Amino acid sequence: MTSWSPLLALFLVIPLVGAVLTPVVSDSSGRRSWGWAVFIMSVTSAMSVSLIVRVLEEGPFSYVIGGWVAPYGIELRFDEFSASVAIVCLLGLLAIVFSRHYAPQALTPERIPYYYTLLLLNLTGMLGFIVTGDLFNLYVFTEILSLSAYALVAISGEKTAEMAAFKYLVMGAVSSLSILFGVGLLYALTGSLNMADVTSRLAGTAHAPLVMAFAALTLGFMVKAALFPLHIWLPDAHAIAPSPVSAVLSGLVVKIGILGMLRVYQMAYGSGAIDLSGLNLTLTWLGAISIVMGAFFAVFQDDIKMMLAYSTISNIGYIVMGLGLASSYSLIGASVHVFNHALIKATLFLGAGALIHQTGQRTLTGLAGIGRSMPFTTAAISIGAISIVGIPPTAGFLCKWYIALGALEAGEPIFAVALVFGALLIFIYYIRMVNAFYFRKPQDAGAPAVHEAPLTMLVPVLILAALCLIMGILGRLPLSFIEPAVTRLLTPLGGG
Amino acid sequence: MEVVDARVAIAPAISLLCAALVFAAADHTFWRRFFSLSAALAKLIIVMSMLPGALKGVVYTFDLVEFTPGVGLAFRADALGMFFAVVSSTLWLFTSIYAIGYMEREPNRRRFFGFFALCVSTTVGVAFAENLLTLFLFYETLTICTYPLVVHDETPEAMRAGRTYLAYTLTGGAFVLLGSIWTYQLAGTMTLSQPGILTMEAGRTTLTALFVCLIAGFGVKAAIMPLHGWLPTAMVAPTPVSALLHAVAVVKVGAFGVLRTIYNVFGVDLLQELGVCDWLAALAGITIIAASVIAIFQDNFKRRLAFSTISQLSYIVLGAALLSPLAATAAIVHIANQAFAKITMFFVAGSIQRTTGKTAIHEFAGIGYRMPYTMGAFTVAALSFIGIPLFAGFVTKWYLSLGALESDQWIYALVMLGSSLLNAAYWLPIIYTAFFKSPREDALVHEAHWTMLGPTLLCAAYVLLLGMTVSVPGMPFALAQAAVKFVFGM
Repeated sequence: MTSWSPLLALFLVIPLVGAVLTPVVSDSSGRRSWGWAVFIMSVTSAMSVSLIVRVLEEGPFSYVIGGWVAPYGIELRFDEFSASVAIVCLLGLLAIVFSRHYAPQALTPERIPYYYTLLLLNLTGMLGFIVTGDLFNLYVFTEILSLSAYALVAISGEKTAEMAAFKYLVMGAVSSLSILFGVGLLYALTGSLNMADVTSRLAGTAHAPLVMAFAALTLGFMVKAALFPLHIWLPDAHAIAPSPVSAVLSGLVVKIGILGMLRVYQMAYGSGAIDLSGLNLTLTWLGAISIVMGAFFAVFQDDIKMMLAYSTISNIGYIVMGLGLASSYSLIGASVHVFNHALIKATLFLGAGALIHQTGQRTLTGLAGIGRSMPFTTAAISIGAISIVGIPPTAGFLCKWYIALGALEAGEPIFAVALVFGALLIFIYYIRMVNAFYFRKPQDAGAPAVHEAPLTMLVPVLILAALCLIMGILGRLPLSFIEPAVTRLLTPLGGG
Repeated sequence: MEVVDARVAIAPAISLLCAALVFAAADHTFWRRFFSLSAALAKLIIVMSMLPGALKGVVYTFDLVEFTPGVGLAFRADALGMFFAVVSSTLWLFTSIYAIGYMEREPNRRRFFGFFALCVSTTVGVAFAENLLTLFLFYETLTICTYPLVVHDETPEAMRAGRTYLAYTLTGGAFVLLGSIWTYQLAGTMTLSQPGILTMEAGRTTLTALFVCLIAGFGVKAAIMPLHGWLPTAMVAPTPVSALLHAVAVVKVGAFGVLRTIYNVFGVDLLQELGVCDWLAALAGITIIAASVIAIFQDNFKRRLAFSTISQLSYIVLGAALLSPLAATAAIVHIANQAFAKITMFFVAGSIQRTTGKTAIHEFAGIGYRMPYTMGAFTVAALSFIGIPLFAGFVTKWYLSLGALESDQWIYALVMLGSSLLNAAYWLPIIYTAFFKSPREDALVHEAHWTMLGPTLLCAAYVLLLGMTVSVPGMPFALAQAAVKFVFGM
């Protein structure tokens, strides 16, 4: 271990402590708590950059808490998949910046500092989830981020929000329990909680409990990822939460389910102790159904955030289908989309948030003709829409390209067809949206003039929209992380 | 000889820049016109500057960006692409001038001309696409950019037509994408620079399925029956847009895609072995006749033009599907011949509508006295479609019939003959109505504004030139021949 490693621990401690201190530091001033949250997240983002630079130069590295060596102590591990902390930090930072004017309008003043506390806690949970090398901590961080997410959904205090949060809580609690059960079984089987260690001990353990353990983990993570038919909590929760929270939930929190799945796969493929073909087939089909069902429900929504929420279900479908197809192309596609969908969906949710903030309208009917008065926001949303449909050269294209190629590689052209035509269905409702913005006359001409959103909203949205384009054109960039990681994933016990 | 030259990338990009400037110009009429015209003109100049080289056999290439290894945007101006680019950029200038006159008093002109300029960009992008992905990208972008033009009037009828248009073309686009991915998976490349990249190793069933996939995708825009439903519906758009859809951009990129699929993805030899082109030729033959029969019964002028377009486009598809060098020549030159004749007709339809407000053919009695030049131009285009020697359409019919005989499929020579008769049956009555029926109103000469009449007459002149000399300056027959030689390995 080089002298750099403690940075990995600080990387979690700083946002955690920052979150807890927010109400104290801000002295119940919304403005000051915003400044503090921005500061904490900026520091964390800077650290994430230096960590990623290091993983690129040296490959995966670890930090051992308290100096206890791997199987016994708690290990923090930073590998290529962990590079996803960059996207967590970026989106977290932008969502917080965006909240400056949004939060005072959506929340009562005394709740604002707690809003930032919860948001920072949620982000810490995700960062921890990504860098931990330990199964029990995986569970702990899952709970941190889930609990803060329930609270964030409910934070506006409206009846509908509380209902949505409750639904989310019930489903979330069951899934957490399922994950804990899986972790417990693995511990009972192998006597270890360190993931690398578990992997090496799995071979030769009893088959039935092992299957049960992986099934429990998969089930738990799939609820978190909102895969059909476990998606029912998602639309309400994501649509009703304040928009910056929706962006974080839809862009990042559901991906935790996916990243958890990748961890499970790392163990399963690495040990070679279990045959995943049945699971893979199930996931592929569920993914395909998710794509179509999500798109199908989205077509009938009039509420713009509801539409975006269903679109998330479709996109999770793409990712899960990529995982299930389990060829190197499709895994690359799925992993790339974990990043890119986060960018795209954050663009859309923050953009929608800006529209709602400025107009007070959240239906397509109410937002008709808004393109004339808020040209920048709607342009950004349009870029997001084009990306999510997957038209080159935007960020959404790579995922579709690779997953479809993976489906053909795996000899399953039917899934390539499902993918392409699912994208077509998705296109339909984004066209409805763009149509409403640009080609429909505003509802009532007498309404007060609407202005473009303030800069703290507009700038994050525009940055994200630009990234949607840049990540499409520079598609090689994420691949440089993902290709070695996927290769390692598919090679039994090849992990360095 | 291949030369790396940024001009192939600049040609689409410059119109993109101008489109941005049109949007930025907001409501300044002068600047909007200035940038619209400079979009068309700048592109024409760049394309034409590559023409001398292309005629000498130089192929210009430029790799713009690679998303991931082997997958990226790249441009390449081979003979076929150059031919298409020259035709579309020449016509674009005419259409832009015409559109400025036609759209004089319409609302939302900024949006209209912005997207209009974007369409120039994408069409040339299609022409110069080096691989299927680039082709797909511009093919889809064209769909998106033409949508605001189709729904320009924002009436419920226009919105409905827009939806139909999108439903058809986006589904087609999905097939193209699927076909592109599949091609990449089978061949390991998507390049369009070879005379065929697939081999029989992939298996007969797979190749047939892939062929159907790609042809169905491109066939939507090429309006091969039964995929033609969007085209007559989209007639609700302003006339310059119809001209754009029918003559220059949309339908032609479809036909161009079919040519690329047959010549550069599969290759003539493979298709001969596979035998699927017989079916495509049959489908094209049926479309030619059926669309013409339907056209006879249309009283709305633009609808009659629409069905004529469907029929004419299948000439190109048929020429390609016959897999003989002479028929291929016909297919390629028909891109130009159909374009100039059909755009003349649409210009005429628009001029009549703007000047007299008439859209139905039975109202055209005596209109030849009122608008003699306009109707004269129409007559030239009509005679070309019928296939009278000295007019452009004759060249196509001649080569296509020869090609049909060359490949021992004389039935298609009969189709050509039948199509000529049907064309006569639906064009000549219009000429008769216009010139020989007595005028019901006072017969003062009242022509359209010069911005509309000028392009109409120029296009009509091109139709004559193309028919008389085959090799009109700027419309090089030699390019078509070079493309055919490359494809057939001669």
